[in-house]
Amino acid sequence: MTSCGNPASEQDALMQRRTKFDKTRLCWKCREKVGNVVIRHAVYCRECFFPIITTKFKRALEPFINPGNETRRQGLKPAGNLCVAFSAGLGSTVLLDLISRLYFSAETGGWTGRGGTDHPRNAPVWKKTTICYVETSSALPGTRDRTEDVRAVVAQYAGFASFVPLRLEDAFDDAWWGKVGGRPPPSHVSVDLADEELLLAQKLSASDTPVVALRAYLAAMPTQTAIPSAIQNLIRLLLLHTAWATESSHLLLGTSLTSLSVSLISSISQGGGFVVREEAQEEWQPTVYSGSKRNVRVTRPMRDIGMKECAIWAWWHKLTVVGKENYLGGKQGIGTLTKSFIVGLERDYPSTVSTIVRTCAKLAPKNVADGRCVLCGRPAQPDVQAWKARISIRAFDEQGDVPPHRTLAPDPAPDERTRETHEDAAMPPRVGLTPHLCYACHTTLTSRSSRGSAAASTQVGATPLPVWVESGLEMLDGGGSGQEKWNKRKMGESEMKEAIAEFLLPKEDA
Amino acid sequence: MSVPPAARISLKVEFSGGLELLFSNERTHKLSVPATVPKSYGDASGETKPADITFLVHHLRDNHLKERVELFMENATVRPGILVLVNDTDWELEGEGDYVLKDGDEIVFISTLHGG
Repeated sequence: MTSCGNPASEQDALMQRRTKFDKTRLCWKCREKVGNVVIRHAVYCRECFFPIITTKFKRALEPFINPGNETRRQGLKPAGNLCVAFSAGLGSTVLLDLISRLYFSAETGGWTGRGGTDHPRNAPVWKKTTICYVETSSALPGTRDRTEDVRAVVAQYAGFASFVPLRLEDAFDDAWWGKVGGRPPPSHVSVDLADEELLLAQKLSASDTPVVALRAYLAAMPTQTAIPSAIQNLIRLLLLHTAWATESSHLLLGTSLTSLSVSLISSISQGGGFVVREEAQEEWQPTVYSGSKRNVRVTRPMRDIGMKECAIWAWWHKLTVVGKENYLGGKQGIGTLTKSFIVGLERDYPSTVSTIVRTCAKLAPKNVADGRCVLCGRPAQPDVQAWKARISIRAFDEQGDVPPHRTLAPDPAPDERTRETHEDAAMPPRVGLTPHLCYACHTTLTSRSSRGSAAASTQVGATPLPVWVESGLEMLDGGGSGQEKWNKRKMGESEMKEAIAEFLLPKEDA
Repeated sequence: MSVPPAARISLKVEFSGGLELLFSNERTHKLSVPATVPKSYGDASGETKPADITFLVHHLRDNHLKERVELFMENATVRPGILVLVNDTDWELEGEGDYVLKDGDEIVFISTLHGG
C-alpha cells in the first residue's frame, strides 16, 4: 500500500524503469547493425566493438611511448625494452592479448598489415619484452601456486616475450636483490612497529628464510587494510626493480578503468592523496640511481577500458583467464569495501566510474615532494610528521604541560627509549624509519584500528623490512662510508653566475 | 502433477571468469526448465509468468550452485560484476532479468571480478 493509503494508486506510484542504453538498439557507430553490447549507455555491435577498444588502448599508450614529451609524429621509439606485468587476472590477460595483436603480430605469425613482415614499418616497437608475474601464495595461506598455469598462458606469447616468474618473498631475498642489481647489505635491520618513530634495530635472527620474513612482515601489520596495501606495495616494487633490471623503459599494468577507480579511491582513503597522480602514471628509478637519465615509465593502457569491456573482449576472443587470488583483505578492509562500492556503482551508474578517474587526473599536490619514500619509492610529502602532529589527537608532550596524573611515574622520554633499544641490539644510534616514509606508508605501518590490532603484539617488535628499504636508508646516510652528500636547491641567476664566473668567457665587443 | 514435456524449454548455460568454480567446476550446463513458472519464485500457488532470466538465476542457485551463493546472487539478481550474455548479446539490451527464455537460448554468465 502506498503512503496515501490508496491501494489503487500502487501501480502509478512505481517509477518507469530506465533502460541502460540510449534510444535505439542499433549500433551507435555503424548505425546499421543491431547492437550486441552496452558500454556506458552507448550500444555497439560486435564488429564495431573491437576497433573501439583498440583505439582506446592506443590512445592511452602511444602518447607515452617516446621518452619525454616527444610527439607521436616522430614514430614510436621507446628508450628501452618493455616489461608487462601479468597478474593472471582479467585486465592483464586482455592487456597481453592487445599488446600481442597491436605491436607483435608479425612475431606471432598473425600479421596481415601492409608491407610484409620484414618491412621496417612492421618492426617491433620494443626490442625485448618481458612478461613478469608475482606469485603471492606464500603470503596467503590456503591459496594455490598458479605459476605453472600462468606459464602455460604466457607460452602463447613466447614468440616475442620472455617470462620472468617472481615470488612475493623475493622482496626479502638478498639473492633476488643481487640479481636485479642491488647491493645486499652486510647486515639486516628490523623495525619496531609498536613505536610511532619506527625505531630500527639490528635483526637478531639473520637465518630467516625469505618466506618467514615475508610472513613476519605481513603478520606485524596493524590492520586488515594494511595487509593488502603492503602486499600491493611489495608487488609494485618487485615489478619496478625487474623492469629496471631488464632495461625496460616501460612497465605496462593491466589496470582497467574499474580497477583504477578502485585503487584511486582506496589509495586516497588510506592517506595516498599526495601521490594520486602516481597512482595513474609515474616515472620511477631506483634510489641508488636517482638523478640518472634512465627511468621506468609505469603506464596503464587499459585505463579507459572498463571491466565489462575486458570481459567481453576476453569472451569473444576466447582468452583463458587463470584468475588471481583475492588479497584485498577481510570484508571490512578498505580495499574490499571500495571494490564492492565501485563495482555496484558501475552497474547502476556506469558513467560515474570514468568520472572518478577523470576527476583524479585533475588533482595535483599543493607542495613539491621532499624526496622519495624508502618503502614505496613514491614522492613523499614534506613535513609529514609535523602535519600529522597538528591534526592528530595524541598524548601530552613530555616537554610541555604534563597532566597531574602523569607526573608521578612518567614514561621514559622518547630519546631514552631509543637509547635502550639501540643498546639492547648493539645498534649504532640510528634514526627511526619514520622520517624516511611518506604519509601513506607511515599510516599503513602504524595506524591501529579502534577495534584492536590485527597483529599479535609479540610480532611487531622486530619486523623485517624489504631489501630495498635498507639500500634506501644507506643512501640517505651517505652510504655510511664518507661518501659525498648532495643537496639540491634552486639558485638565483646572480648566484649561479658567481659560482661559474671563472669559467665564463669575456664578452667580445661587436 | 508434472509439467508436460512440450511445456519445457532447453537452454545452454555457460559460466566463465571463475564462476564455473561455484558450479562443480563445469563451464557448460544443458538445462531443461518449465516454460511457465510462478510469478514469485517458489510460490506455486500464486500467479504464473513465462520463464525469464530472473527465474533462471534462482533455479541455478537452488539446483546447480555448490557453494558461496553470495558470489553469484545479490538482491534477487546476479551480483554486480557478473556480466550476462543472451545469445551473445548483453542482457542489458534484452531487458535484463525480464528477458523471456526461448527454446535453444544460450545464456552466459561471466565474472569480471578476477582483478586486473
